Amino acid sequence: MGSELPAAPFAREGSSSAAMAWTAVLCLLPSAGWGVVVFGARAALVLAVAVAAALAAEAVGAALRREFTLTDGTAVYSGLLVGCLLPPTVPLYVPAAAAGFAMLVVKQTFGGLGRNWMNPALAGMVAARLCWPGPFAAPAATFWTAASLPPLAGPLSALRASPVDAAVRGWLNAGVLSGAGMRPTPGSFDLLVGIRAGGIGELSVPLLAAGALVLAARRVARWHLPVTFLATFALLAWVFGGLPAGAGFFAGLPLYHLTAGSLLLVALFAATDPVTSPLTAGGQVIFGLGAGCLAFLLRFHGTLLDGPALAVLLMNAALPLIDRWTRPKRLLGATRGSPS
Amino acid sequence: MTQTRTFPRGGVRPAQTAAIPRSEPVTNATVPARAVVPLRQHAGEAAQRVVQVGDGVVEGMVVGKAFGPHSAHVHSSIPGRVAEIIRAEDHSGEACEAVVIDLGGEFARSGRSTTVRPWEASSRFELLALVQAAGVVDRGGSREPAHLALAVPPGREAGRLVVNGVESDPALSCTSALLREKPREIVEGTRIAMKILGLSAGALIAMSEADAGLVPAFERAIDSAGAQIGIRVVSARYPQEHSQLLLAALDGRAAARGGGSRARGTSGEVILSAATLFAVYEAVVLAKPLTEGIVTVTGSPLAVPRNLKVRFGTPVADLVDDCGGLREEPGAVVLGGLMSGRVAASLRVPVTKTTTGVLLLSRKQVCAAAGARPCIGCGRCLEACPWGLEPARLYKLLDRGMADEARVEGLEDCSVCGCCAFVCPSRIALAQGLDLGRRGRPLDGI
Repeated sequence: MGSELPAAPFAREGSSSAAMAWTAVLCLLPSAGWGVVVFGARAALVLAVAVAAALAAEAVGAALRREFTLTDGTAVYSGLLVGCLLPPTVPLYVPAAAAGFAMLVVKQTFGGLGRNWMNPALAGMVAARLCWPGPFAAPAATFWTAASLPPLAGPLSALRASPVDAAVRGWLNAGVLSGAGMRPTPGSFDLLVGIRAGGIGELSVPLLAAGALVLAARRVARWHLPVTFLATFALLAWVFGGLPAGAGFFAGLPLYHLTAGSLLLVALFAATDPVTSPLTAGGQVIFGLGAGCLAFLLRFHGTLLDGPALAVLLMNAALPLIDRWTRPKRLLGATRGSPS
Repeated sequence: MTQTRTFPRGGVRPAQTAAIPRSEPVTNATVPARAVVPLRQHAGEAAQRVVQVGDGVVEGMVVGKAFGPHSAHVHSSIPGRVAEIIRAEDHSGEACEAVVIDLGGEFARSGRSTTVRPWEASSRFELLALVQAAGVVDRGGSREPAHLALAVPPGREAGRLVVNGVESDPALSCTSALLREKPREIVEGTRIAMKILGLSAGALIAMSEADAGLVPAFERAIDSAGAQIGIRVVSARYPQEHSQLLLAALDGRAAARGGGSRARGTSGEVILSAATLFAVYEAVVLAKPLTEGIVTVTGSPLAVPRNLKVRFGTPVADLVDDCGGLREEPGAVVLGGLMSGRVAASLRVPVTKTTTGVLLLSRKQVCAAAGARPCIGCGRCLEACPWGLEPARLYKLLDRGMADEARVEGLEDCSVCGCCAFVCPSRIALAQGLDLGRRGRPLDGI
């Protein structure tokens, strides 16, 4: 027995916070991998630079506090997330700068893991976007299509369907869906599986959803925040999304707007970061509502292409307030007479 | 009519550790060759020693007389001779005087036939005096001398007697074993306590859903005694046995506020553990002082974990042989349960009146307990806290030396149940930190 005695409880439940971070890395990898399939080796290079820069910046920042934190998985996750948020066409100094800013400025200067008030990966991406806006809206070629703009950068009619999309839709229309009276529009299959320009890890809806389900099942992330976030956004996009085009209320395209940008990636893999999300389920719902509203406003009335990341960062700023509003109710009451 | 009820929020369901088969009967532990009897085995003042080194003692003889208003007599659990007077650990780990007795001479009680004392004709004061004389201490959370809880002050009424037979710690099964083997005796002890409290009805026996199979045996015992005692089955969610959470389960959220951590709540409930009522039965009916109790001796280093009837003062090391010896060298000894027990200084510490369990931890378990990482704000400790506190926030306040703020935020509500630390993915010693803070100590070194 050592001089320092252990204390109760003598058992622990569930996985450690490091295991949670590594689980999150594994859940995000399939989506990042799909980006590499779609965009080729260049995407892998962007991801690798982002992860390497995050690790290097984390190592430097932690070393200044005489700590070693690279094995806890959080730096790898943040680096991977930064890479996933970036398009494959960016010069390589962009992922390096974004990930470095995320780890060194946003995370380490505030004291490292658990002390940062902004989501590091989102802050890094937004900072890079403000510095180098050009590459973010650049056309990108996929394995199946020639260079084209990301869906949200141009009008809906500018979407061009890939040969895969045409083939699959043709088969679906001829067979399964004709009886149901449904005719998917050109490009809808591309949007669903992720054959389009955009962030490397934001493309594939099934892979993002599967990863998020594993996160929820392993209790790495709670469902309240992303579900409220996406539902709020989808509702607003449906009710008010048609107004800018003059189509009136309830004429929006919620499915298009859910799948076209970085929304799913941000809501499922960035907003769920425990450090920068509320403590209680009630707080998570408030956060989700706020982020959903802001993401809607920024997408339909903003100047930046991509609202969700900024929406989450704005809600991050409101986090202390949300946590204060949603403190748990004490069983014995807030004021309790002293037992004297 | 049985129905599963529980407390309104929080709690955890830890997996069972080193479970003892329910079919396994309670066996007597070997009589120790040398017993270490601490003079404080209850919450309150230590008893005053009435024996000297060299004195002969007989089984059940008073070696420490209650001294002060919150004290209880301490009896010798074995016959023999006082070998020395030492400092030993009391029930809370503080140092206190202890009488060391070397076994010798004849057993005055053990192995002999006992006469049953009729008690129905005795007055409540005579019965209370018998309980006091036997040194009965509540083995449940309060650890108070039982005669204090049972003595109704003038002008006050006992509203109800709740017999706490709930057990939810994943390592303990001593209460379950007692309920299984002694339903008739517990019911009789409850009737005696009802008489002392002046209750003709309004007593409840609460047990956890895991022991729901024992309800018929208790119903039979209550029927044959013609007593007015109800039975309630509550959840086995940890820490359901805490008296306030038990009241919350029985009567709803508001009832918890009346409970307090003492055996008697402000609203007149008297909450005593089932083992205490069994001790009341033995004290009154068998004229037997409280010198032994059922203790769960368990942990992976032990070959055969068991529920043992142990004479108080038996060093923990002596119990190892009764459990088939060691399979591996233990890393630490815990008195109490897996969730809220306390590490003992060594295997030489004695079992006392309030010891419910002796838990040997493997070296691997001890190592796994170390290594805290930064709080990631996941909110799991808030979800797990049955008191609705924010453990991580309280811990951070205490860590910065802001104990007054922590008190405003409810630090005093904390019962150190361990749920927060149990669920913490960063493995922060939240429960230990809050315990230190409650006792006004700094958080250095954890």
